[in-house]
Amino acid sequence: MSVCQVAAGTPVRLGLVISWLAYTVVALTGVMMIWGLITAAADKPPGKAQLLFAAFVELVVVVQTLIASANLVLGFRPAEFATTIGYLIGIVILIPVAWFWANSERTRFSGVVLAVAALAVLGMTLRLLVLWTPPVLR
Amino acid sequence: MSDPQPRPTNSGPGRVLVAVYGVFALAACARAAVQLTTKFNDAPLAYLLSAAAGVIYIVATVTLARGTATSRRVALTAIIIEAVGVLVVGTASLLDPPAFPSATVWSTYGIGYGFVPLVLPFLGLAWLYRTRPGTYAH
Repeated sequence: MSVCQVAAGTPVRLGLVISWLAYTVVALTGVMMIWGLITAAADKPPGKAQLLFAAFVELVVVVQTLIASANLVLGFRPAEFATTIGYLIGIVILIPVAWFWANSERTRFSGVVLAVAALAVLGMTLRLLVLWTPPVLR
Repeated sequence: MSDPQPRPTNSGPGRVLVAVYGVFALAACARAAVQLTTKFNDAPLAYLLSAAAGVIYIVATVTLARGTATSRRVALTAIIIEAVGVLVVGTASLLDPPAFPSATVWSTYGIGYGFVPLVLPFLGLAWLYRTRPGTYAH
């Protein structure tokens, strides 16, 4: 059946686009997490570049969710459909909320708040990747 | 001279605690929503407990974030229930695995979430104790 999907083309190829985007999100959230912990260790609130970077990470996450949603609409079915939708919504919400929460009291702990959100998005993206990748390509 | 007002629970390290509670509120609620809507009959008890965990995390997140004298009391109750919940469900999931066929946040003491659900209520209690009325804010 997986072979047929590969032969049919579209869904699996689109799935692979998601894979590299997901790895990009994993790398970006990894950097965001470490950056947050570094400013916390230095006893500084997050700087402007750091906040802009978090906004950029969110942008990539949103793009990923949009492309994934388009794939679902086109008929791609990951391992657990409902769970996948949950993750796709969850990863979009976390960084903006953390961004606001980190900025409403700017201390060293703001960086840790950003790191917590980054780690959560990283974990959810890894899980999403497992659900998304067809078993034949895993 | 003691300060009659408690130190706010939503300041300093408390902001990180609120962030972690928020992530778990999202995780537990999303998970429960998926479980209850798609496979309720597989393990009704486990999934209802999953939903209860989600509600408790929401209450703890909101009350710790508000940080008023009243919300402290509600937070204390919620976090005590949370501590009992993770210990009881964690133990029950080891003793009766068939009742917990797919993991809830509290299964095996939160092993699927790096045991954070096991540690979190005790961090919450420690934070409520540190910010108890009569202690000075710096």
